[in-house]
Amino acid sequence: MGLTYQTSDFRNGLKVEIDGAPYVVVYFQFVKPGKGTAFTRTKLKNLISGNVLERTFRTGETLLQAEVEESPMQFLYEDGDLYQFMDMESYEQVGIHRDLIGDSAEYFTDNLEIKVLKFKGRPVTIELPNFIEDEISYCEPGVKGNTAQGATKPATLACGKTVQVPLFIEQGERIRVDSRTHSYVSRVK
Amino acid sequence: MSLDPALLRQRASLLHALRSWLHDQGFAEIDVPVRVRSPALEEHLEAFRLGAWWLHTSPEFALKRVLAAGLGRIYSLGPCFRDEESGPQHAAEFTMLEWYRLGTDYRGIAADLEELVKAAGGVLGVPVPAFGHLTWEQAWQAHVPHAVPSDPDEVFRCWVHHVEPALQTPTLVWDYPADQAAFAVLRGPVAERFEFYWHGNELANAFTELRDPEELAQRWAACNRAREAAGKAPYPVDDRLMTAVSRHGPAGGIALGVDRLFQALLKLPDIHQGRVPG
Repeated sequence: MGLTYQTSDFRNGLKVEIDGAPYVVVYFQFVKPGKGTAFTRTKLKNLISGNVLERTFRTGETLLQAEVEESPMQFLYEDGDLYQFMDMESYEQVGIHRDLIGDSAEYFTDNLEIKVLKFKGRPVTIELPNFIEDEISYCEPGVKGNTAQGATKPATLACGKTVQVPLFIEQGERIRVDSRTHSYVSRVK
Repeated sequence: MSLDPALLRQRASLLHALRSWLHDQGFAEIDVPVRVRSPALEEHLEAFRLGAWWLHTSPEFALKRVLAAGLGRIYSLGPCFRDEESGPQHAAEFTMLEWYRLGTDYRGIAADLEELVKAAGGVLGVPVPAFGHLTWEQAWQAHVPHAVPSDPDEVFRCWVHHVEPALQTPTLVWDYPADQAAFAVLRGPVAERFEFYWHGNELANAFTELRDPEELAQRWAACNRAREAAGKAPYPVDDRLMTAVSRHGPAGGIALGVDRLFQALLKLPDIHQGRVPG
């Protein structure tokens, strides 16, 4: 039995374990019926799947603290079904299965630093930096002076990911991309 | 929370609208004592202790004595105190409107409530939709995906989790299970009690008032047994209330949370908006 939290400890960002999975409190509200006992309504986000669970707890109920920690790691290389990283705190090499990484792998380049969430010591999910900078390895030649709003062309980054960029962007330029929306943000000088 | 002059002015308009509607209907405003010898007949409400006295949790006991003294239409609009956690729907000191009417039951009170809320909405320029009606049983069946559990706390948990958030338009929920009767008269398996919900929040609670002192004494004893079992102080039986309930005629009564009504009318996220912080 691990450490526990009580309903009075609830606050946004608190990490708890429910049915063997880690969750983070994203909403909580004290509520008490005029003629009944007190409760705390919550919304809890599963840290692995991202699904949101709505639960209402009786005041005084206890929940397990989730044993989660976030480690910064640096991408080293791809090795079959595993991606190899260096844990920036322990300097150990850690292999993470491609199933946990999914499409995020498209942005992996040498030395990219990501965050890895570990639950009970095991990596369960990874988080890319919100903004990633990379060089364009291929795109059609730029059209000088064309700043037409919304007109774009595909550009392939050195990491292999293809994103839409404005027409004036040239091959060989470094650009900044929002990894959450996969959209072009700006040139990098 | 900083004070918002425009909001305080709207709140003053609401208080005036409530008093003016009640006055026009012939209700007399009663100044009730807030320092009392017995604060509640409530298993789950905690009153603030004041030496040998308590701060009242509602004006109910005092108003029933006034009802027995022969005033048939009465109300109190003022502060009540409950020692509980604060939150967007809860303030330890809040403003309650209670009114009682002789010669009617909870249906007559429901008609009063709808007219009063519409009048208040009119003054604040907020249209109030026609009230919806559900029995407690219907509300459970419509919103809870399983049968009523046997543990009373679990019943409340399901109610708070599944039913309350679904009651977004003004809705009266009628006829509570007999074990949630409080001060209501029983009719077969149900208590003649309704609650008023709006935006998922409970705004008011009404009864056809219990007038049988023996039944009341039994409920009080059961309530105090439950409090003591939970390690809480029992609440003293109020003998003057016992006498009063046996003397007043058939009546309906209601407690309406004024802060929550203000919150619902103006769609305010927090009950403390429009209140001056203590």
